[in-house]
Order: sequence, then structure tokens, then C-alpha cells
Amino acid sequence: MPATTDSSAAASFTNIGRSILSLRRDQVHSIEGMNMQHHDADTELESFQKRVTDRFLDLSSSSDELLTLSWVQKLLQSFLISQDEFRQILFRNKSQLHKPPMDRLIADYFERSVKALDVCNAIRDGIEQIRQWQKLIEIVLIALDNKKLIGEGHFRRAKKAMVDLAISMLDEKESGSALANRNRSFGRNNVRDNLHKSLGHFRSLSWSVSRSWSAARQLQAIGNNLNAPRSHEIMATNGLANLVFTMSFVLLFVMWALVAAIPCQDRGLQVHFSMSRQFSWAAPMLMLHERIMEESKKRDRRNASGLLREIYQIEKSTRLMNELLDSAQFPITEEKEGEVRQRVQELSMVFESIKGGLNPLEGQVREVFHKIVRSRTEGLDSLGKGNGPD
Amino acid sequence: SQSSQDSDRCLLPDSTESNEDEGFPNFSTEAISNMNKIATAMISCGYEAECCMAYTCFRRNAFREVLNKLGFDSITIDDAHRMQWESLEREIGSWISIFKHCYRNLFPGERKFSDAIFSEYPSTSQRLFSELAAAVITPFLSFSEVIALTKRSAERLFKFLDMCETLNDLLTTIDDSYSKEISQDLTSEIAVVKSQLAEAAASIFCELENSIKSDQGRTPVPSGQVHPSTRYTMNYLKYACEYRDTLEEVFRFHHKNEGFDDAPNQENHDINEHLTEMPNDDGTPKKSPFAIELIAVMDLLDANLEMKSRLYRDPALRYVFLMNNGRYILQKIKGSNEIHNMMGVTWCRKRSTQLRQYHKNYQRETWSRVLQCISHEGLQANGKVVKAVLKERFKNFNALFEEIHRTQSTWVVSDEQLQSELRVSISAVVTPAYRSFVGRFKQYLEGRSMDKYIKYQPEDIETLIDELFDGNPMSMGRRRN
Repeated sequence: MPATTDSSAAASFTNIGRSILSLRRDQVHSIEGMNMQHHDADTELESFQKRVTDRFLDLSSSSDELLTLSWVQKLLQSFLISQDEFRQILFRNKSQLHKPPMDRLIADYFERSVKALDVCNAIRDGIEQIRQWQKLIEIVLIALDNKKLIGEGHFRRAKKAMVDLAISMLDEKESGSALANRNRSFGRNNVRDNLHKSLGHFRSLSWSVSRSWSAARQLQAIGNNLNAPRSHEIMATNGLANLVFTMSFVLLFVMWALVAAIPCQDRGLQVHFSMSRQFSWAAPMLMLHERIMEESKKRDRRNASGLLREIYQIEKSTRLMNELLDSAQFPITEEKEGEVRQRVQELSMVFESIKGGLNPLEGQVREVFHKIVRSRTEGLDSLGKGNGPD
Repeated sequence: SQSSQDSDRCLLPDSTESNEDEGFPNFSTEAISNMNKIATAMISCGYEAECCMAYTCFRRNAFREVLNKLGFDSITIDDAHRMQWESLEREIGSWISIFKHCYRNLFPGERKFSDAIFSEYPSTSQRLFSELAAAVITPFLSFSEVIALTKRSAERLFKFLDMCETLNDLLTTIDDSYSKEISQDLTSEIAVVKSQLAEAAASIFCELENSIKSDQGRTPVPSGQVHPSTRYTMNYLKYACEYRDTLEEVFRFHHKNEGFDDAPNQENHDINEHLTEMPNDDGTPKKSPFAIELIAVMDLLDANLEMKSRLYRDPALRYVFLMNNGRYILQKIKGSNEIHNMMGVTWCRKRSTQLRQYHKNYQRETWSRVLQCISHEGLQANGKVVKAVLKERFKNFNALFEEIHRTQSTWVVSDEQLQSELRVSISAVVTPAYRSFVGRFKQYLEGRSMDKYIKYQPEDIETLIDELFDGNPMSMGRRRN
């Protein structure tokens, strides 16, 4: 189940970085002495920015790919790699980190990254929800696919699954609003209300976020006070302020895009994204932002539970399938049967496109979580109290 | 009852029937038999997908209810991150007990339940149970990983270790009742979370070393008493040793991560010294990672006490301070099996020797001049006792003794045994010497001068020595009748 990530190149750096960052302060000086050859800080920072830019250019290159599962995976991958590079540069510049204003900038970044952890948990719940939809689609396929003769029983079975799916997707949209009445218990007093008995009414074990949690608010908190560093800050930190700002923006954008794509609680996308054009990555990021916002405003996507392309495909093919199933009368005509098989084919393609992608995606989200935690704890170790000379 | 228009639906048993006190899930044999029939029929007719989805939904909601009843709150990571320690500590306690209840009490029942319902399909039962268990475990793991993020302060160590122990305990229950894939996945997730907690725990413990090092207190503790930081550190270490196994694991991991095999900071202590000085009972050298850290702390504490002792200008008080603290440390260690085993018999023996040395030093500092006053040497000239010298001697003795009594009765030796040892050993040297001096030379003083110079009888000396180290300021004037 864990994703096969492409971070093997970064892995060796990761291990060294981790071990050195967790050494006690009084041992670092000797190692610093060994390693601190003339490394050009400026080149280091520049190449980091360039790599980030390249990744975002790549992400914005194909509009067909935008917001597909594989695109989201690519997005997370770029976060993981950027985060690794970020850590490496920080550790190579360890001696700079507790001087003001760098200490405050780093602390700010860590605070933002902790806020992203809740988003990761909410996204995992969203992935679980999509998994349920996948299972319901599978039932439809089992019922209707590859049957020599489609009987009424098959139809009823498929219909039931489609109804459950529709309810579940609707339910997810509604519960996207924090204000919605969510006081539904399963199997208790609501004997009359059949809706609540449906398989689609599946609420995953979303204990990782409380009922009042809001993705929109969380994103705003992550992006709060995220301003481009002023020139005196850049000078005082030897340019590291730009590094932190870049990574903070990468974090914000990635979390925002995840919330846009995947169903989660209170998915408001109105986050202030004012990127200073002086950064080379600002342009591709802004373009992605624009295109995603455009997508969210399209008529048939405005109320989507998530902008993931595959979710759109599910919605489309299930709507068509539903219409078909609704209009079918038994015995069905050959023509109708042909239409059914066509819809089944489409649905099957949607199913395949989801099937292989959800588990690796979840694995990546988990890895993002772990990496943020580890990076934060290293930060606590290396920038701990008592920063003065030994 | 359900209306007949939905004849392909039926009411699932009311989940409030489940009562964790009587075994979870708690359904009648008839209900279970019905569910078994339904499941068997559905699966055998090719409706496994629907059956499993319904079952999963049913059980997840049951668990959600149970956990709500048990008061498991989902606090966001932001909240946990900002909480005050008292509240967070409570949350952790609650996390531990609810989590344990889940995997020790509820999961076995759940597995039996799914086995009963899917009696014809054991692999389905295993899969459904594994998925359910994993779904329940996941938020607990997420919470505990976040705890590792919170502030590293000394008092948090033990809760962190409690969580490590809970995770270790959980691991022992992930057996082949779980499907292989999920078992592997869970095990590796738990390992990641454990490593975060372990790093945090190691960091907190190492913080103890830093705080001792940076304790540059310029004010000596009055009366040479046991220093509060000695008490704090020893109690902390004693408590930590109760988590010995977990801390061994923590430091094994920590040392591995730091990229070297054995010891941390060489400049603070010679590790080889400790390797040979820390034998097991059978004499083989022990070099457990936690023992190394423990000894590092003890060494730092010693160095710190040494530094603090030099704040006393009176060398005698210096030794009393060292004795007090050394004794306290030794008693603490001897009084607890866990920490005694860690430090070892040899270390304790060395400590006792050191204490005896302090004792000797104290006695020399304070009493050697006193004894010189009542030495039989140097009183005679031309074979005759020089009265003037004799009087001088008595005068000096009295002055010195009174000074010592005045000062050192205000000193404190709180360990009763040490206090009595000190008094007895002082008395054993001074009293007989005084008695013999007085006995030999009092004849040379007549009448009033006898009273003037021989202020004290030997019994008085003994009594006054018994007032030393009481912490009582007492003027001599009041004392004498």
C-alpha cells in the first residue's frame, strides 16, 4: 500500500540530514568544520528556486492532466522533493538559523506546516470516501458487465448501487458545508427514512478532524501573513528568507490544490494568493491557480464534492447510466442493451482510472504527514532553547 | 418493522445492543445466526460486494458509537499543538486507556463476531476485520505522532514513554488475525510513529543534561543541604528507570540515528571507563545505550555539585554539602532496584568510598586544629607544665569549640544515619582526647581558674557534639546553665 516514491535520490541526503540535524549542538561544530567548504549560498538558493519553478512548469504543462489523480500524485511528489531540498539547505546553513529574523521566519514556517497536518488527515478521509464510490461502481460493473443477457435482476442491482452512489456523492457535497445538519445516526430511530439505510450513506471514521473543522479556515491559517520578505530581511538572512518564503508558498499551494481536488470538510477555495512576480515560480503557480479556480466555477463543477478529474468522470458517467437505467423498461430492446453496454464500458474506464491510483495517493499523503512531522521535530531539536554558545 | 415494499432490505440489528461490559459485540445467538445466513446467501449468490459494504458500514458505525461513548474526542492537531500541558496530559491518558480498550478488549470480540457471521468465508472475515481494525487504529496513530511534535519539556517524558509502551503493546496484538498486507502496513506505520516519539523522548532526556550543565547557580544552598536540583534529578532518574526497557529502545534508536555505535559526547566522560565499570552480575561488561545516558547524567550532576560546593568559602561546609548530596544520591539509588541495577554495585561502592573521603576531609578541616589544642605535646618546658601555655590551650579549645558549635549546629544533615555517623565519629575522636587532656592537666589549675578555663566537662562536649548538624541556631549563652 505505501507509495513507491521517487525519493531514492533524496534518501541518502535525508538520512545524513536527519542524523546530523539531531546531533547535539556541541558536536556540530566539528562536523561543520569538515563540511563547510566554500559553498556558494547564492547558487544554492538560486538552484532551489529554479528547481521549484521547473516542477511547477511541468505541472502546468498539460491542461489535460490538470487535476487528474496522476497530476495530484505529481504535485505531492514535488512537495516531497522540495521539502527534502529545503531541509538540506537549512542544515547546511545551520549556523544562520537562530539569528533574527531567520529564527522567526523558520518558526513561522514550522507553524504553517503543522497546520497542514490536519489537511493531510482530512484528505485521507476524502480518499477513503472516493474508495467507497469506487466500490459502488464495482458493484454496477459486476451486475452489468460481460453478461450475455442482462436481466431485470441485474438492472435492479445496478440501480440500487447507483442510487447509493448518488446519495453518497450528494451527502459528501452537503457535508462539505459545516453548517449542514449532520446529526444522522445509522440504523437507529430513522425507520421511516430509507435514505439513511443506504450503503451510500457511509461516513468514514473521520475522527482525525472534529466536526467544526474547516478546510477553508485551515488554508487561510496556513496562508496567513505570508508576505514576500523585504530587502532588509533578505540581506540579514543571506537570502535564506527567500528560501523559507518559497517553501511556505509551495506548502500553501499544494495544500490548497489538495483541498480543491479531494472531498473534504468545508472546502472553501477562497484563499488569498498574492505572489510576488519577482519569483520565477510565481508565474506557473499563479497559472495553475487560475486554471483550477476556473474549473471550480464551471457550471457543472460548481457544486462538485471535489475537482478531481476522475470525480467529474464518475459524476458524468453515473448520470448517464442513471438516466439509462431509469428509462429502461423490461424486456429491453437490443438498442437499449447496446447503450447499456456502452455506459458500462465508460464506467469501467473510470473505474480503472481510479483503481490503481487511490492507494499510492494515500501513501503519499501519509508520507507528506510524516515528513512534515519529522522536519518539525528536527527544527525543534536544532533550534531548541538555549541557542547561545555552549 | 419494515414495510414490505422494500423486501430486499431489512433492519440491521440496533447497534445500541452492543454493550462493552458484556462482551462486544453483544448480539443474541439468533441474531448472529440470521446474519450468518444472510451473509452466506449473499456471498454464495455473488453479492459479496454489497454484503461486505453493508457489514463494514455497520461495524464502523458501531465503533464510532463506542468511541463516542468512551469520550474519545477528535482534537485537531492545531489544538493538540497549542494545548496546555495539564489538558494535553489528560488527553494522552484518555488516549491510552481508550486505545488499549480497543485493541485488547474490543478487537478480539470483533474478530470472533466476523468469524461467526462469515463462518463459510474465513478470508473475507479476516479481510473485513483487518480493514476495520486499521481504520480504528489510524486516528490514534495520527494523534500520537502529533504528540511527538509538542514542546519538549522534562515533565512530559513519562507520558511520551507511556505512549511508546502502548504502541509496543499494540504491536504484540498484530498477529495473524490480520491479513498479511494490512499487518505489514500497520507495523511499518506504527514503527514510524514510535520513532517520532522515541526521538522526542531522547531529546527530552538529553535536555536534562543540558539543564544540569547550564545550572550555574551562584547562590549556595544554605546550611550545606541537599540541593533541590539534586532531589529533582534523582527523583526524575529513579522514575525514568522504571521505564528502563522502553528507554533502552529509545536510546538504541537514538544512538543509531546519531551515526555512531556507542556513546555520545566523549568529552564529558570516558566511555571505556564505564564499559569496564558497569558489569553485569556475572561480570560481563554492560554497555546498554540507556545506561550510558544515565551515567552521563550522573557524571554531569557530580560535576555540577562539585562546582556548587566551591561556592562555600568554608571548606568544612563544602565537604558537608558534598556528603549530604552524595549520600542522598547513593540512598536514592540503593532504594530502588531499577536504578540500582542500572548503576551497578561497583559504581555504588566507588560512591561510598568517595563519601568516606569527604568525611575524612571534613573531620580534618574542622577538628584537627581542635585536637591540636588538646594535644599532650608541647606543654612542658624543662620537664614542667607551663601554666600559661596550658591556660592558652584551654582558652583556644573553648573558643574553637564554641565557634564550631555555633556555626555547625546551623548546618543541616538531613539523612539521620549520616548525621549520627558524623556525630559519633567526631565524638569518638574528640571526647576521649578531651577527657584525657582534662584528666591529665586539670590539677595544674586551681580554684577559680579551673572553672574559667575548664568550661566544659567531657560529657558536655559529647552533648554539644550531638547538637551539630541540626539546623538549629542556638546561642551558647542560653545553653549553659
